Amino acid sequence: MTPKSIATDYSLQTRLLIVFSFLLGVFLSLTGIVLDRAFSNSIEAGAQDRLQGQIYLLLAGADEENGEFFFLEDLQEPRFAQLDSGLYGFISSVSIGELWRSDSARTFDLPEPEILQQHINVGENRFDRVVMEDAEIYFILHYGIQWENNNEYNFSVVENAAPYYSEITNFRTNLRSWLGGVAILLLFIQFYGMKWGLSPLQRMANDLKKIESGYKDKLEGDYPRELRGVTDNLNLLIESERKQQSRYRTTLGDLAHSLKTPLAVIAGVLPKLKEKHISESEEQLASVNDQLDRMSQIINYQLQRAVRANSGSSLAKLVNAASAIEKVLDALAKVYVEKAMELETQIDKSAVFNGDERDLMEVLGNILDNAFKYGSNKIRVSLTRTGVENRDLNIIVEDDGLGVPEDKREFILQRGVRADTLIQGQGIGLAVVTDIVSSYSGEIIVDKSDLGGAKIEIVFGKG
Amino acid sequence: MRLLVVEDESLLRQQLEQGLSKEGYLVNAAEDGRSGLYYATEYSYDAAIIDIGLPEIDGISLIQEIRSAGKQFPVLILTARGDWQDKVTGLDAGADDYVVKPFQMEEIIARLNALLRRAAGFSKPKLEFGPLCLDITAKRLTVNEESVDLTAYEYKMLEYLMMHPGKVISKSEFTEHLYAQDYDRDSNVLEVFVRRLRQKLDPDQTLKPIETVRGQGYRFSL
Repeated sequence: MTPKSIATDYSLQTRLLIVFSFLLGVFLSLTGIVLDRAFSNSIEAGAQDRLQGQIYLLLAGADEENGEFFFLEDLQEPRFAQLDSGLYGFISSVSIGELWRSDSARTFDLPEPEILQQHINVGENRFDRVVMEDAEIYFILHYGIQWENNNEYNFSVVENAAPYYSEITNFRTNLRSWLGGVAILLLFIQFYGMKWGLSPLQRMANDLKKIESGYKDKLEGDYPRELRGVTDNLNLLIESERKQQSRYRTTLGDLAHSLKTPLAVIAGVLPKLKEKHISESEEQLASVNDQLDRMSQIINYQLQRAVRANSGSSLAKLVNAASAIEKVLDALAKVYVEKAMELETQIDKSAVFNGDERDLMEVLGNILDNAFKYGSNKIRVSLTRTGVENRDLNIIVEDDGLGVPEDKREFILQRGVRADTLIQGQGIGLAVVTDIVSSYSGEIIVDKSDLGGAKIEIVFGKG
Repeated sequence: MRLLVVEDESLLRQQLEQGLSKEGYLVNAAEDGRSGLYYATEYSYDAAIIDIGLPEIDGISLIQEIRSAGKQFPVLILTARGDWQDKVTGLDAGADDYVVKPFQMEEIIARLNALLRRAAGFSKPKLEFGPLCLDITAKRLTVNEESVDLTAYEYKMLEYLMMHPGKVISKSEFTEHLYAQDYDRDSNVLEVFVRRLRQKLDPDQTLKPIETVRGQGYRFSL
C-alpha cells in the first residue's frame, strides 16, 4: 500500500479514531509509568524511613566496651531477636568489618560482606539494595556514627524487600485495571463523541446522495459554521448548473427559432417562384425544396440531440413517468381525435424515471405519435416497473397498423451520427429516441405486436 | 371563416396572412402575445394559429388566457423547437393541434380545415345533410350528387351555416365572419345571398335548408 492509497482508504472517522486512540494509549501509558514510579519511590522512601527508625533503635540500645558492642536489654523491635525474621542488624567498622550482628542474622550472610566495611561519613545515610543468591532482594540502610570513643562505626539494617515489592505489585495490578477501564470508557466516549461531532459531515454526504438521485433539490437544514461555507457554495454550484442547463436549452431553442423562421420564409417563397416561372428549371426548384427539407431535418435532429440533458448529470430528478405518459396520451388523443383510437393502458402509478423530464417526453412523444399515426384502430400502452427491486422502467407501445418489416427494424433505430447520413424522407423521431435511450444505457427493441402492428419496447435501467 | 394569426416574425406572419386569405379566410394578424390576447378576447374567431415563442406574453400563456376568457375556438400552435415537452404543454394548455416549423402552407390549411370541421362536430371533410353535400377541402357543393356552382361569398356563407347547423346566426355574426373588418355592409346584402343560396340549393322549395328566424337571423336545418 502506497502512502497515497492509505490516505484514501480510511474514512475521516477511522483516522480520527486511530489518532485519538494512539494519543490515549500514549497518555495512559505515560500516566501509568509516572504513577508507578511515584508509588515505587514512595514505598522505598517509606522503607528507608522505617529502616532509619530501626537504626535509631540499635543506636539507643547499643553499648560498647573495648571495641565490642553488646545490648543489655532486649531490642524494642522483636524481629531482631527472631531467627530469619527478615530484619537484620549489623554494626561494623571500616578497618575491622563486622563487629556485631543481631540474633536474627545468625544464619544470614550478605553476598558481599565487604559492603559493611565501606566508608560512610558520620551522619550519612546510604540506602541500597542487595540481591541474594536466591534472587531475593533486601533493602539495606547504612548509617555512619562517631562513638563516644571517637571511633567511627557503621550501623546497618537489612530488611527483606518482598513485602514492599508485593505492595508495589498489587498497586501495579490495580493501576492497570483502573487505567484499562478508563481507557475503554474514554474510547467509548471518544467514539460516540466523534460520531456526534462528525454527524454534520455524514448528513451532508447523505443529502448529496439524495440530490444525486433526485429526491432533493439542494442541501437544506442547519450546518455548523465551519461547513456553511461548503454547503452554501455547493448549493450555489447546483443552482448554477441547473440554470446553465436551462440557459443552454433556451439558447439553442432561440437558435433553432431564428434558423427555422428564415427556412419557413424560403419554403413559403418557393411555390411562388414556381408559379411565376422565374426559374426555368422545375428540377432546380425541386432540388432547393429538397435541401430545405434536409436542413430542417438536420436542425430538428441536432437540436433534439443537443438540448436533452446529459444522462450522466448528477442533477437528475425523479420524474413521475405515469403522469408524463398520461399527458402525452391526452395530447395525442386530441391531435388524432378523428381516428378515434381505442386505447388500452396498463400504467403503474408509482413508476418513476430517473432523468430529465424533457428526455422522457421526447421518447414517449415520438413512439406514441408513431403508434397513433400508423395504427388503425387500437393502441396498447404499458408502463411498468421491472427488474431487480423493480427499479427498471419498462415502456411498451403496440399498434394494429402495418408493423415494421423485419429487415427494417434495426435500420429505423439507427442513430444519425452524422446528420447527413439521414436518408431523405426518413423520420428522425426514432433516431432521437434511440439516442436518448442509449444515453441512459437503456434498451430499445422493435418487434411485431399480437395486435398486428409494431411493438416498441423500451427499458430504462437504474444504473 | 375568421382566423387570428399570432406570430412575431413579420415575414412569416405576412406569408401566413397571404396564404390563408388566398384560401378564402379572413385573417387578423398580431405580432406579440399582448395584442394577440386583445384580438382574441375582443373579436370573434373561428380558429387561431399561435406561435409558441412570442415576446411579451408567450404562446402557452396566451392560449391559457384565451381559454380562461371562455373562448373555445380551436387553436393550432406553431413550434420551432418541435420537442414533445413544448407540444404537450401547448396541447395541455388548450391548443388542439401543432405544426412544427418550417412548414408547408398546405399543411397549415389541411390542419386548420380539420380543426374547423372538428369544432363543428364533423369528422370528415364532407358535410352531408340529406341531398346536400359540401366538400370543404375541394370547396364544392353537390345537390343530389350534381355539382352546383357558388360564388366565393355564397360558398363562404353556406359553409358557415353548414358548420353551425341548428344554430341561429345573426346578421352581425355573418358580417364578422364573412367580411374583412373595414367593410361595413348593408344587411340587405346578406338577404340577397340567402335568397340566391335558397334558389340554388332548393329550387323546388321542398327542402327549405335555410330557415329565417325573425328578428334573430338565419339557421341551417335539414
